[in-house]
Amino acid sequence: MSGSNVWTRSRERLRIFPELLAQCADEAAVYGKCVAATTTGRQELKKDLCVKEFEALKTCFTNAVSPQSSIPGSGFTGHGGD
Amino acid sequence: MSSSVTVRVLRRLQGLRAGPVRGPAGLRAEPGRFLSSGGAMNVFNRDMKKRQKQRVAALKDGHQYDYLRDEVRRITAFCLLRTFPLALDIGGGKSHIAEHLNKKRCRQTEVPTRCVVVDEEFLPFKENTFDLVLSSLSLHWINDLPGVLRQIQQVLKPDGVFIGAMVGGDTLYELRCSLQLAESEREGGFSAHVSPFTAVTDLGNLLGGAGFSLLTVDVDEVQVHYPGMMEVMTDLQGMGESNCAWNRRSLLHRDTMLAAAAVYREMYGNQDGSVPATFEILYMIGWKPHESQVRRTVFLTELTKITLKGERKSRKKREKKGN
Repeated sequence: MSGSNVWTRSRERLRIFPELLAQCADEAAVYGKCVAATTTGRQELKKDLCVKEFEALKTCFTNAVSPQSSIPGSGFTGHGGD
Repeated sequence: MSSSVTVRVLRRLQGLRAGPVRGPAGLRAEPGRFLSSGGAMNVFNRDMKKRQKQRVAALKDGHQYDYLRDEVRRITAFCLLRTFPLALDIGGGKSHIAEHLNKKRCRQTEVPTRCVVVDEEFLPFKENTFDLVLSSLSLHWINDLPGVLRQIQQVLKPDGVFIGAMVGGDTLYELRCSLQLAESEREGGFSAHVSPFTAVTDLGNLLGGAGFSLLTVDVDEVQVHYPGMMEVMTDLQGMGESNCAWNRRSLLHRDTMLAAAAVYREMYGNQDGSVPATFEILYMIGWKPHESQVRRTVFLTELTKITLKGERKSRKKREKKGN
Protein backbone atom coordinates (compact mmCIF):
# COMPACT_ATOMS: atom_id res chain seq x y z
CA MET A 1 0.00 0.00 0.00
CA SER A 2 1.30 3.47 -0.77
CA GLY A 3 0.49 5.03 2.63
CA SER A 4 -2.04 7.68 3.53
CA ASN A 5 -3.30 9.80 0.65
CA VAL A 6 -6.57 11.45 -0.27
CA TRP A 7 -8.00 8.19 -1.68
CA THR A 8 -7.17 6.07 1.36
CA ARG A 9 -8.55 8.75 3.65
CA SER A 10 -11.79 9.15 1.74
CA ARG A 11 -12.20 5.40 1.46
CA GLU A 12 -11.69 5.10 5.21
CA ARG A 13 -14.31 7.80 5.79
CA LEU A 14 -16.75 5.96 3.57
CA ARG A 15 -16.05 2.72 5.36
CA ILE A 16 -17.01 4.10 8.78
CA PHE A 17 -19.92 6.12 7.37
CA PRO A 18 -22.57 3.58 8.41
CA GLU A 19 -21.33 3.42 12.01
CA LEU A 20 -21.36 7.20 12.28
CA LEU A 21 -24.81 7.44 10.77
CA ALA A 22 -26.05 4.91 13.30
CA GLN A 23 -25.01 7.29 16.06
CA CYS A 24 -27.16 10.03 14.59
CA ALA A 25 -30.24 7.94 13.96
CA ASP A 26 -32.63 10.44 15.55
CA GLU A 27 -31.47 13.44 13.56
CA ALA A 28 -31.48 11.31 10.42
CA ALA A 29 -35.06 10.25 11.10
CA VAL A 30 -36.19 13.86 11.58
CA TYR A 31 -34.55 14.94 8.33
CA GLY A 32 -35.93 11.93 6.51
CA LYS A 33 -39.45 12.67 7.72
CA CYS A 34 -39.15 16.27 6.56
CA VAL A 35 -38.18 15.22 3.04
CA ALA A 36 -40.63 12.33 2.90
CA ALA A 37 -43.46 14.69 3.81
CA THR A 38 -43.09 16.41 0.44
CA THR A 39 -43.99 13.22 -1.38
CA THR A 40 -47.43 13.06 0.17
CA GLY A 41 -48.28 16.65 1.00
CA ARG A 42 -48.97 19.50 -1.36
CA GLN A 43 -45.63 21.14 -0.62
CA GLU A 44 -43.12 20.82 -3.45
CA LEU A 45 -39.56 19.82 -2.72
CA LYS A 46 -37.31 22.85 -3.11
CA LYS A 47 -33.69 23.42 -2.35
CA ASP A 48 -32.96 23.83 1.36
CA LEU A 49 -36.52 23.07 2.33
CA CYS A 50 -35.27 20.99 5.24
CA VAL A 51 -32.05 22.88 5.83
CA LYS A 52 -32.54 23.17 9.60
CA GLU A 53 -33.00 19.44 9.99
CA PHE A 54 -30.06 18.74 7.72
CA GLU A 55 -27.76 21.10 9.63
CA ALA A 56 -28.66 19.27 12.84
CA LEU A 57 -27.85 15.95 11.17
CA LYS A 58 -24.59 17.22 9.78
CA THR A 59 -23.53 18.65 13.15
CA CYS A 60 -24.21 15.35 14.84
CA PHE A 61 -22.33 13.54 12.10
CA THR A 62 -19.30 15.84 12.34
CA ASN A 63 -19.22 15.44 16.12
CA ALA A 64 -19.34 11.69 15.69
CA VAL A 65 -16.36 11.89 13.33
CA SER A 66 -14.07 14.11 15.40
CA PRO A 67 -13.38 11.85 18.40
CA GLN A 68 -12.17 9.28 15.88
CA SER A 69 -10.01 11.66 13.89
CA SER A 70 -6.96 9.40 14.27
CA ILE A 71 -6.80 7.83 10.80
CA PRO A 72 -4.84 4.54 10.58
CA GLY A 73 -1.31 5.28 9.40
CA SER A 74 -1.20 8.83 10.68
CA GLY A 75 -1.11 10.03 14.27
CA PHE A 76 0.17 8.05 17.18
CA THR A 77 -1.10 4.57 17.65
CA GLY A 78 0.28 3.53 20.99
CA HIS A 79 -0.09 4.89 24.48
CA GLY A 80 0.94 3.78 27.89
CA GLY A 81 -0.32 0.33 28.77
CA ASP A 82 -3.28 -0.03 31.11
CA MET B 1 -17.95 -6.82 4.67
CA SER B 2 -21.55 -6.78 3.67
CA SER B 3 -24.07 -8.75 5.64
CA SER B 4 -27.28 -9.19 3.77
CA VAL B 5 -30.28 -11.46 4.13
CA THR B 6 -32.12 -12.46 1.02
CA VAL B 7 -35.87 -12.38 1.27
CA ARG B 8 -37.86 -13.54 -1.69
CA VAL B 9 -41.03 -11.68 -2.40
CA LEU B 10 -42.53 -13.78 -5.12
CA ARG B 11 -45.31 -12.43 -7.27
CA ARG B 12 -46.07 -14.64 -10.25
CA LEU B 13 -48.21 -12.68 -12.65
CA GLN B 14 -50.15 -14.06 -15.59
CA GLY B 15 -49.21 -12.04 -18.64
CA LEU B 16 -48.13 -8.44 -18.50
CA ARG B 17 -49.05 -5.73 -16.07
CA ALA B 18 -48.67 -1.97 -16.10
CA GLY B 19 -45.84 -0.89 -13.86
CA PRO B 20 -46.91 1.11 -10.79
CA VAL B 21 -45.54 4.61 -10.40
CA ARG B 22 -43.12 4.77 -7.52
CA GLY B 23 -41.77 7.86 -5.91
CA PRO B 24 -43.19 11.34 -6.01
CA ALA B 25 -45.04 12.30 -9.12
CA GLY B 26 -43.33 15.15 -10.93
CA LEU B 27 -39.85 14.15 -9.81
CA ARG B 28 -39.92 10.93 -11.80
CA ALA B 29 -37.91 11.81 -14.87
CA GLU B 30 -36.31 8.53 -15.92
CA PRO B 31 -36.19 8.24 -19.71
CA GLY B 32 -37.90 5.17 -21.11
CA ARG B 33 -35.37 2.68 -22.28
CA PHE B 34 -37.00 1.46 -25.44
CA LEU B 35 -37.44 3.63 -28.51
CA SER B 36 -40.00 2.13 -30.82
CA SER B 37 -38.67 3.64 -34.02
CA GLY B 38 -35.45 1.73 -34.60
CA GLY B 39 -32.99 4.49 -33.71
CA ALA B 40 -30.23 2.89 -31.65
CA MET B 41 -29.81 4.44 -28.24
CA ASN B 42 -26.41 5.13 -26.78
CA VAL B 43 -26.99 5.33 -23.08
CA PHE B 44 -24.11 3.36 -21.64
CA ASN B 45 -20.39 3.68 -21.91
CA ARG B 46 -19.59 0.08 -22.79
CA ASP B 47 -15.84 0.53 -22.42
CA MET B 48 -16.28 1.71 -18.88
CA LYS B 49 -18.59 -1.20 -18.13
CA LYS B 50 -15.96 -3.60 -19.45
CA ARG B 51 -13.34 -2.02 -17.19
CA GLN B 52 -15.68 -2.21 -14.19
CA LYS B 53 -16.38 -5.86 -14.85
CA GLN B 54 -12.70 -6.64 -15.20
CA ARG B 55 -11.92 -4.91 -11.94
CA VAL B 56 -14.64 -6.87 -10.19
CA ALA B 57 -13.52 -10.16 -11.71
CA ALA B 58 -10.07 -9.59 -10.23
CA LEU B 59 -11.40 -9.19 -6.67
CA LYS B 60 -10.21 -11.92 -4.33
CA ASP B 61 -13.43 -12.02 -2.30
CA GLY B 62 -15.71 -11.29 -5.23
CA HIS B 63 -17.86 -14.36 -4.63
CA GLN B 64 -19.62 -12.66 -1.73
CA TYR B 65 -21.44 -10.44 -4.24
CA ASP B 66 -22.71 -13.33 -6.32
CA TYR B 67 -25.93 -13.97 -4.39
CA LEU B 68 -28.22 -12.26 -6.88
CA ARG B 69 -26.72 -13.96 -9.91
CA ASP B 70 -26.80 -17.34 -8.19
CA GLU B 71 -30.46 -16.88 -7.36
CA VAL B 72 -31.35 -15.99 -10.94
CA ARG B 73 -29.32 -18.86 -12.36
CA ARG B 74 -31.10 -21.27 -10.04
CA ILE B 75 -34.48 -20.16 -11.39
CA THR B 76 -33.29 -20.19 -14.99
CA ALA B 77 -32.04 -23.75 -14.63
CA PHE B 78 -35.59 -24.87 -13.81
CA CYS B 79 -36.67 -23.92 -17.33
CA LEU B 80 -34.30 -26.37 -18.95
CA LEU B 81 -36.51 -29.44 -19.32
CA ARG B 82 -35.03 -30.54 -22.64
CA THR B 83 -31.51 -31.48 -23.61
CA PHE B 84 -29.76 -28.84 -25.63
CA PRO B 85 -26.69 -29.99 -27.52
CA LEU B 86 -25.16 -26.55 -27.97
CA ALA B 87 -25.88 -23.56 -25.77
CA LEU B 88 -24.64 -19.98 -25.64
CA ASP B 89 -24.51 -18.07 -22.38
CA ILE B 90 -24.35 -14.33 -22.96
CA GLY B 91 -22.94 -12.12 -20.25
CA GLY B 92 -21.93 -15.03 -18.10
CA GLY B 93 -19.42 -12.93 -16.19
CA LYS B 94 -17.20 -14.91 -13.89
CA SER B 95 -19.28 -18.03 -13.92
CA HIS B 96 -19.21 -19.34 -17.43
CA ILE B 97 -17.96 -16.89 -19.97
CA ALA B 98 -15.07 -15.03 -18.39
CA GLU B 99 -14.95 -11.38 -19.24
CA HIS B 100 -11.25 -11.15 -19.05
CA LEU B 101 -8.59 -12.80 -21.10
CA ASN B 102 -7.17 -15.20 -18.53
CA LYS B 103 -8.96 -18.40 -19.47
CA LYS B 104 -7.78 -20.20 -16.35
CA ARG B 105 -10.24 -18.14 -14.30
CA CYS B 106 -13.13 -19.70 -16.16
CA ARG B 107 -14.91 -21.83 -13.58
CA GLN B 108 -14.77 -25.51 -14.45
CA THR B 109 -18.18 -27.14 -14.71
CA GLU B 110 -19.39 -30.62 -15.64
CA VAL B 111 -20.67 -29.25 -18.93
CA PRO B 112 -17.75 -28.77 -21.31
CA THR B 113 -17.43 -25.01 -21.62
CA ARG B 114 -15.45 -22.66 -23.75
CA CYS B 115 -15.10 -19.05 -22.65
CA VAL B 116 -14.69 -16.19 -25.08
CA VAL B 117 -14.66 -12.46 -24.62
CA VAL B 118 -17.16 -10.86 -26.98
CA ASP B 119 -19.12 -7.67 -27.16
CA GLU B 120 -22.78 -8.63 -26.66
CA GLU B 121 -23.84 -6.13 -29.28
CA PHE B 122 -21.74 -7.79 -31.97
CA LEU B 123 -22.13 -11.54 -31.66
CA PRO B 124 -19.47 -13.25 -33.79
CA PHE B 125 -21.42 -16.47 -34.42
CA LYS B 126 -22.88 -17.92 -37.58
CA GLU B 127 -26.62 -18.04 -38.07
CA ASN B 128 -28.53 -21.16 -36.99
CA THR B 129 -25.81 -22.37 -34.67
CA PHE B 130 -27.23 -22.74 -31.18
CA ASP B 131 -30.07 -24.77 -29.74
CA LEU B 132 -30.27 -22.59 -26.65
CA VAL B 133 -29.22 -19.08 -25.80
CA LEU B 134 -29.19 -17.92 -22.21
CA SER B 135 -28.70 -14.48 -20.85
CA SER B 136 -28.67 -13.74 -17.17
CA LEU B 137 -28.57 -10.24 -15.74
CA SER B 138 -26.51 -8.60 -18.42
CA LEU B 139 -29.02 -7.24 -20.92
CA HIS B 140 -29.65 -4.10 -18.89
CA TRP B 141 -26.30 -2.65 -19.92
CA ILE B 142 -26.95 -3.04 -23.64
CA ASN B 143 -27.44 0.07 -25.72
CA ASP B 144 -29.15 -1.47 -28.74
CA LEU B 145 -31.42 -4.04 -27.13
CA PRO B 146 -33.63 -4.63 -30.20
CA GLY B 147 -30.49 -5.26 -32.26
CA VAL B 148 -29.06 -7.73 -29.77
CA LEU B 149 -32.33 -9.65 -29.56
CA ARG B 150 -32.42 -9.85 -33.33
CA GLN B 151 -28.87 -11.19 -33.39
CA ILE B 152 -29.77 -13.78 -30.77
CA GLN B 153 -32.71 -14.85 -32.89
CA GLN B 154 -30.40 -15.22 -35.86
CA VAL B 155 -27.77 -17.35 -34.15
CA LEU B 156 -30.46 -19.70 -32.87
CA LYS B 157 -31.42 -22.79 -34.84
CA PRO B 158 -35.07 -23.03 -35.91
CA ASP B 159 -37.06 -24.29 -32.90
CA GLY B 160 -34.24 -23.09 -30.69
CA VAL B 161 -35.09 -21.17 -27.56
CA PHE B 162 -33.83 -18.02 -25.89
CA ILE B 163 -34.19 -17.84 -22.12
CA GLY B 164 -33.28 -14.50 -20.64
CA ALA B 165 -33.37 -12.82 -17.28
CA MET B 166 -32.82 -9.13 -16.97
CA VAL B 167 -33.40 -6.57 -14.28
CA GLY B 168 -36.07 -4.15 -15.24
CA GLY B 169 -38.93 -1.94 -14.25
CA ASP B 170 -38.87 -1.09 -10.60
CA THR B 171 -35.39 -2.33 -9.77
CA LEU B 172 -33.67 -0.25 -7.12
CA TYR B 173 -36.50 2.25 -7.02
CA GLU B 174 -35.74 2.91 -3.37
CA LEU B 175 -32.18 3.96 -4.16
CA ARG B 176 -33.29 6.00 -7.15
CA CYS B 177 -35.95 7.91 -5.22
CA SER B 178 -33.79 8.52 -2.16
CA LEU B 179 -31.02 9.97 -4.27
CA GLN B 180 -33.45 12.07 -6.29
CA LEU B 181 -35.10 13.56 -3.22
CA ALA B 182 -31.84 14.17 -1.38
CA GLU B 183 -30.18 15.77 -4.38
CA SER B 184 -33.19 17.99 -5.00
CA GLU B 185 -33.28 19.16 -1.42
CA ARG B 186 -29.56 19.64 -1.02
CA GLU B 187 -28.56 20.86 -4.48
CA GLY B 188 -31.74 22.08 -6.15
CA GLY B 189 -31.74 19.52 -8.97
CA PHE B 190 -30.92 15.91 -9.58
CA SER B 191 -29.20 13.70 -12.10
CA ALA B 192 -29.66 10.05 -12.96
CA HIS B 193 -27.80 7.68 -10.66
CA VAL B 194 -29.68 4.51 -11.45
CA SER B 195 -29.87 3.21 -15.02
CA PRO B 196 -33.07 3.38 -16.97
CA PHE B 197 -34.61 -0.08 -17.13
CA THR B 198 -36.88 -1.85 -19.56
CA ALA B 199 -40.50 -1.93 -18.49
CA VAL B 200 -42.16 -5.32 -18.48
CA THR B 201 -44.81 -4.05 -20.88
CA ASP B 202 -42.16 -3.30 -23.50
CA LEU B 203 -40.60 -6.75 -23.34
CA GLY B 204 -43.31 -8.43 -25.38
CA ASN B 205 -42.92 -5.90 -28.18
CA LEU B 206 -39.14 -6.23 -28.10
CA LEU B 207 -39.19 -10.00 -28.38
CA GLY B 208 -41.90 -10.01 -31.03
CA GLY B 209 -40.07 -7.39 -33.05
CA ALA B 210 -36.92 -9.51 -32.96
CA GLY B 211 -38.74 -12.42 -34.55
CA PHE B 212 -39.41 -14.69 -31.58
CA SER B 213 -42.64 -16.62 -31.25
CA LEU B 214 -44.46 -18.34 -28.38
CA LEU B 215 -43.36 -15.66 -25.95
CA THR B 216 -43.46 -16.01 -22.21
CA VAL B 217 -42.72 -13.10 -19.91
CA ASP B 218 -42.69 -13.39 -16.15
CA VAL B 219 -41.80 -11.03 -13.35
CA ASP B 220 -40.06 -11.97 -10.15
CA GLU B 221 -39.38 -9.49 -7.43
CA VAL B 222 -36.43 -10.16 -5.17
CA GLN B 223 -35.96 -7.99 -2.13
CA VAL B 224 -32.59 -7.99 -0.46
CA HIS B 225 -32.19 -6.41 2.94
CA TYR B 226 -29.07 -4.43 3.77
CA PRO B 227 -27.88 -2.60 6.87
CA GLY B 228 -28.02 0.74 5.06
CA MET B 229 -27.72 2.64 1.80
CA MET B 230 -23.91 2.52 1.78
CA GLU B 231 -23.94 -1.26 1.88
CA VAL B 232 -26.38 -1.32 -1.04
CA MET B 233 -24.01 0.78 -3.11
CA THR B 234 -20.93 -1.19 -2.04
CA ASP B 235 -22.57 -4.47 -3.03
CA LEU B 236 -23.71 -3.06 -6.35
CA GLN B 237 -20.16 -2.03 -7.04
CA GLY B 238 -18.93 -5.48 -6.04
CA MET B 239 -21.39 -7.08 -8.44
CA GLY B 240 -20.00 -5.01 -11.28
CA GLU B 241 -23.22 -3.02 -11.52
CA SER B 242 -21.81 0.47 -11.01
CA ASN B 243 -23.28 3.21 -13.12
CA CYS B 244 -21.72 3.67 -16.53
CA ALA B 245 -24.26 5.83 -18.31
CA TRP B 246 -22.78 8.65 -20.38
CA ASN B 247 -24.88 11.21 -18.53
CA ARG B 248 -23.76 10.11 -15.09
CA ARG B 249 -22.36 12.63 -12.72
CA SER B 250 -18.81 11.78 -11.71
CA LEU B 251 -19.20 12.70 -8.06
CA LEU B 252 -21.73 12.49 -5.30
CA HIS B 253 -21.42 15.17 -2.63
CA ARG B 254 -20.86 13.97 0.90
CA ASP B 255 -23.82 15.99 2.08
CA THR B 256 -26.08 14.47 -0.56
CA MET B 257 -24.92 10.99 0.37
CA LEU B 258 -25.67 11.65 4.02
CA ALA B 259 -29.06 13.11 3.16
CA ALA B 260 -29.91 10.23 0.83
CA ALA B 261 -28.96 7.63 3.44
CA ALA B 262 -31.24 9.36 5.95
CA VAL B 263 -34.13 9.57 3.48
CA TYR B 264 -33.68 5.93 2.39
CA ARG B 265 -33.89 4.70 5.97
CA GLU B 266 -36.85 6.88 6.83
CA MET B 267 -38.92 6.15 3.74
CA TYR B 268 -38.17 2.49 3.19
CA GLY B 269 -36.49 1.17 6.34
CA ASN B 270 -37.71 -1.94 8.12
CA GLN B 271 -38.52 -2.27 11.79
CA ASP B 272 -35.19 -3.84 12.60
CA GLY B 273 -33.23 -0.95 11.09
CA SER B 274 -32.32 -2.65 7.82
CA VAL B 275 -33.31 -1.26 4.45
CA PRO B 276 -34.64 -3.20 1.46
CA ALA B 277 -33.45 -3.00 -2.11
CA THR B 278 -35.77 -4.33 -4.78
CA PHE B 279 -34.57 -6.18 -7.85
CA GLU B 280 -37.35 -6.74 -10.34
CA ILE B 281 -36.19 -9.57 -12.54
CA LEU B 282 -37.93 -10.07 -15.87
CA TYR B 283 -37.75 -13.60 -17.19
CA MET B 284 -38.41 -14.09 -20.87
CA ILE B 285 -38.64 -17.12 -23.12
CA GLY B 286 -38.81 -16.84 -26.90
CA TRP B 287 -38.66 -19.52 -29.58
CA LYS B 288 -37.28 -19.25 -33.07
CA PRO B 289 -40.11 -20.05 -35.46
CA HIS B 290 -40.29 -23.56 -36.90
CA GLU B 291 -43.01 -25.45 -38.83
CA SER B 292 -43.66 -27.78 -35.90
CA GLN B 293 -44.78 -24.81 -33.85
CA VAL B 294 -47.63 -23.89 -36.19
CA ARG B 295 -49.72 -26.86 -35.06
CA ARG B 296 -49.64 -25.62 -31.49
CA THR B 297 -51.63 -22.51 -32.28
CA VAL B 298 -55.41 -22.38 -32.67
CA PHE B 299 -56.76 -20.44 -35.61
CA LEU B 300 -59.35 -17.83 -34.88
CA THR B 301 -61.44 -18.89 -37.91
CA GLU B 302 -61.87 -22.38 -36.48
CA LEU B 303 -63.22 -20.91 -33.28
CA THR B 304 -65.77 -18.84 -35.25
CA LYS B 305 -67.02 -21.92 -37.16
CA ILE B 306 -67.62 -23.80 -33.94
CA THR B 307 -69.65 -20.94 -32.50
CA LEU B 308 -71.83 -20.57 -35.61
CA LYS B 309 -72.58 -24.30 -35.77
CA GLY B 310 -73.74 -24.26 -32.17
CA GLU B 311 -76.08 -21.33 -32.82
CA ARG B 312 -77.69 -23.01 -35.84
CA LYS B 313 -78.36 -26.17 -33.85
CA SER B 314 -80.03 -24.37 -30.98
CA ARG B 315 -82.22 -22.33 -33.38
CA LYS B 316 -83.50 -25.50 -34.99
CA LYS B 317 -84.33 -26.97 -31.59
CA ARG B 318 -86.29 -23.87 -30.65
CA GLU B 319 -88.25 -23.96 -33.90
CA LYS B 320 -89.21 -27.60 -33.35
CA LYS B 321 -90.39 -26.93 -29.83
CA GLY B 322 -92.45 -23.98 -30.94
CA ASN B 323 -94.57 -26.19 -33.21
